[in-house]
Amino acid sequence: MIATDSAALLELVWAAPLAAVIVVVAWGMVVYGTARAGEARRDGRTASAALNFGVAAIGGVLFTTAIVIGLIVMTSKG
Amino acid sequence: MDSDIILVIVVATALAFDFTNGFHDTANAVATSISTRALAPKTAVGLSAILNFVGAFISIKVAATVAGGIVDADQITTTVIFAGLIGAITWNLVTWYFGLPSSSSHALIGGVVGAAFAATGPDAIFGGALLEKVIVPALVAPVVAFVTAGACILITYRLVGRLRPGSVNRGYRLGQIVSASLLSLSHGTNDAQKTMGIITLALIAHGSLSGPSPDPPTWVIVSAATAIAAGTYIGGWRIIRTMGSKIYKMDPAQGFAAQGGGAAVLLTASHLGFPLSTTHSITGAVLGAGAAKRLSAVRWGLAGNIAVAWALTLPAAAAVGAITYGVSRIFGTGALGPLLICVCLLALMAAMFGKRLRHGPPVATAAADT
Repeated sequence: MIATDSAALLELVWAAPLAAVIVVVAWGMVVYGTARAGEARRDGRTASAALNFGVAAIGGVLFTTAIVIGLIVMTSKG
Repeated sequence: MDSDIILVIVVATALAFDFTNGFHDTANAVATSISTRALAPKTAVGLSAILNFVGAFISIKVAATVAGGIVDADQITTTVIFAGLIGAITWNLVTWYFGLPSSSSHALIGGVVGAAFAATGPDAIFGGALLEKVIVPALVAPVVAFVTAGACILITYRLVGRLRPGSVNRGYRLGQIVSASLLSLSHGTNDAQKTMGIITLALIAHGSLSGPSPDPPTWVIVSAATAIAAGTYIGGWRIIRTMGSKIYKMDPAQGFAAQGGGAAVLLTASHLGFPLSTTHSITGAVLGAGAAKRLSAVRWGLAGNIAVAWALTLPAAAAVGAITYGVSRIFGTGALGPLLICVCLLALMAAMFGKRLRHGPPVATAAADT
């Protein structure tokens, strides 16, 4: 029992920060992409706006996936 | 007749604990969102209350025992549960009074451990399990969350540091609404279950429910969900203020790093079967997000007080639980002891709330102003 929990503890030490970093980077991509796309659109740089919008979209998909995984974890425990 | 009265008292006390659990832990989900103005205070607690209510219905797989594996299940009687609940409620009220975030789950475990100790002695407590399930996670949670949130905010500043603050702040405020919602839902799922478990146990002990692991009746689920949602809506504003603005003045990116990073740590831990305290994780994350930006920005004295409250949670709740059990037994095994203790607790609550209402402006206003 203690061995199992020690293994879970060790996994937690690297997995939890990794999950958190993925969530934060994903939302960071949304914020970054949206802000840069807005600036590029105002300056008339269509290609740059599209590229940054793409970055925001990828971040959005990653973030949404993380939220869905969180909801699955919540509903499947017990 | 006496057993019916004791059952009613235990159910009412369990719902009272659920209520204090809600208002005590509101800060975990909404403090950073209120502090960074991602949400207006009333909107934040309203949203959190609704999601806590919904969360209570997501999973109803209640624990078979209170403090399962830590206390010998055969020694848990309705009086032990009652005394444990009083220990937990008292500690929740004391820490709320001083505006300190602390774990309601640890308070409940402490209360039950103390009451079981008073009832049957040290043999009822499994020390190894207590160390493994409570003490080690209590040490791990804030450290992992601190380091994680610190790393998250450094990455965040690296990503968006050169952008216009206006759009960045708007973006992170929006992210905070999502992370606050997820935390609220998670809290409802976790913590309302404990109350359902306690009431289900009391119903089994009373003979109203039978079977090896019966599902809680609908009225138990609805009442537990309502109590935690009502507590959340009332809001533990003193603790919200401590976590949201007293430790340091956070920006929206820090708020998101603390809340989003903290939520990711909590759910990963839960997935790995290593559940951590929400309070310990989010407080650790708040400190980490502040310290990574500037070490001196964090009020370490206040952080020290919070750490002391965490260290005292288990022994203090255990002591109150043991004393409650002892006092209750002075009046025999009937309902008189628990009834008198309930009256005393209600008087204590009225005095504490009364004193807080008389002194100082509503913290809700102060939180909104920060």
